[in-house]
Amino acid sequence: MNNRVSSRSVFGAVAALVALLCLLINPVRAELASETTKSGEATAAMAWLERLGPALNMTSYRGVFVYARGDQVHSMRIAHRYRNGRVEERLVMQDGGSGEIVRKGMNVVCVLPDRGRVRLDEVIPSGPFAEAFTSQLMPFGRWYLPELAGEDRVAGYDVVIVALGARDDDRYSHRLWLEKETGLLVKSQVRDVNGEVLEHFQFTDLEITDDISDDELEVQTRGREISRTLDDGRKQESSVGRMNGWTLSWQPEGFVPAAAPRSGSGKAVAFSDGLAAFSVFVEPVGRLKMPTGASRIGATTIYMREVMVSDRPFLVAVVGEIPPGTARKVADAVEVDDDFVAELSGS
Amino acid sequence: MDERLRETLSSMMDDEADELSVRRLLSHGNQEDVRGQWQRWQQIRDLMHEQHGPADGIDVAGAVREALDGHARSEQARSPVEVPRVSVWRWPVAAMVFMALIVGFGAGAGWDTRTGVSVQALAGGSAEPSASAVTLSAAVEEVALQRLDEDQLRQMRQYLLEHAQHNSVGAGRGSVGYARLVSASGNY
Repeated sequence: MNNRVSSRSVFGAVAALVALLCLLINPVRAELASETTKSGEATAAMAWLERLGPALNMTSYRGVFVYARGDQVHSMRIAHRYRNGRVEERLVMQDGGSGEIVRKGMNVVCVLPDRGRVRLDEVIPSGPFAEAFTSQLMPFGRWYLPELAGEDRVAGYDVVIVALGARDDDRYSHRLWLEKETGLLVKSQVRDVNGEVLEHFQFTDLEITDDISDDELEVQTRGREISRTLDDGRKQESSVGRMNGWTLSWQPEGFVPAAAPRSGSGKAVAFSDGLAAFSVFVEPVGRLKMPTGASRIGATTIYMREVMVSDRPFLVAVVGEIPPGTARKVADAVEVDDDFVAELSGS
Repeated sequence: MDERLRETLSSMMDDEADELSVRRLLSHGNQEDVRGQWQRWQQIRDLMHEQHGPADGIDVAGAVREALDGHARSEQARSPVEVPRVSVWRWPVAAMVFMALIVGFGAGAGWDTRTGVSVQALAGGSAEPSASAVTLSAAVEEVALQRLDEDQLRQMRQYLLEHAQHNSVGAGRGSVGYARLVSASGNY
């Protein structure tokens, strides 16, 4: 017998082995590759988002933006300057007559044309703006799937599109168009589960520049002025657990409470998952009878529910950029404490 | 409306008007006249481009929305519009301001607060709403199914304002927050 194994058969065997190995390795490799691409993409998307926070306040620019929700379209002109650690901005309403908001650091001045029907304090409710609320980028990657959705050009600037798809039905999906150099948000959309755009925000005219003159930041409208000083020195109210006379027995995953000012004769607390937010208002029912159920303006849902506590009717209102079903679940989960009722009776 | 203003209006439709002319147009005494002319011309233009508008008038808000979306809505019977991949938003600022006027925030003209805040209210009542009752239709158009009286509207607006404030002005969305706040404060 021939001891020497024919080279051809060895070759054949090796070839077969190699082929087999390839078969095994390649699918795994392909899967790894796509996973790497996906996670790489998610990382890249998050990296863009991390630039968003500081960009909004620390970039100086002037421009005009359009905001559309439902059948309403509003347009505003804005000049925003960040200098020596201070934010100054001026917004001029482009719709229906004049009106403007000028903010310098913590001072806000609002000038309104004289329209009898609108109460001035409705426009700038008293209480601190929730600056601390989202001063840092909250980790919302758990609730939204970040994806790079391409590149585009908006208002003359190159932008990258970051899609944040809701991972569950308790929230909407968001799409953000970020300017490539600064990370400034120049366009955004809120979409529901069917992909319908509920809210659209976009700069139609934009100039990113540090050269914003003082004139552009001065009030120019003649009219009634109302001023407020944003009180960001106020300590955040602890809102874990018992929250001002009522508690939430359920909230959508990822939404955490934040401090909020008082509202009317009841209390309000705001919640956010880092991207979307809703506010809960609990007030005793007065003379005014509000319609219960769900309403929606663009991406904002308002859900109202009446609840009896110790024979007193309370109105629970949940307002936020969340689906109506979620708002309903939150409203149903509000439990008013008896103590709260007693406290109100005393006042 | 004199010939020069008419010309400005016409060039606006082609995105060729300069701001100065547009300002002159906007300060024209008879805005009703201007608005009417704009609408008529838009109607003609739509017909020329074989676009179907609603029978009872111009759905301007829809047109703006469409331009914003950058694509034709598949659910409507419109001939597909070829949209370049690059951003289609080329309307000059002046045209946008004018569009805002058309949509109805007329310069000083009366604005009906009943229709100002478009809400789609579902049947509520004391009965526990079933899951279907809170399922809104996919349409983005909002129809006022329930007329709110002034006091109710004001309260609604108050909630929206407070929420917008929590959500936004200081928050990471910057101008979006202001926009929501302005939108929530309704018609001033």
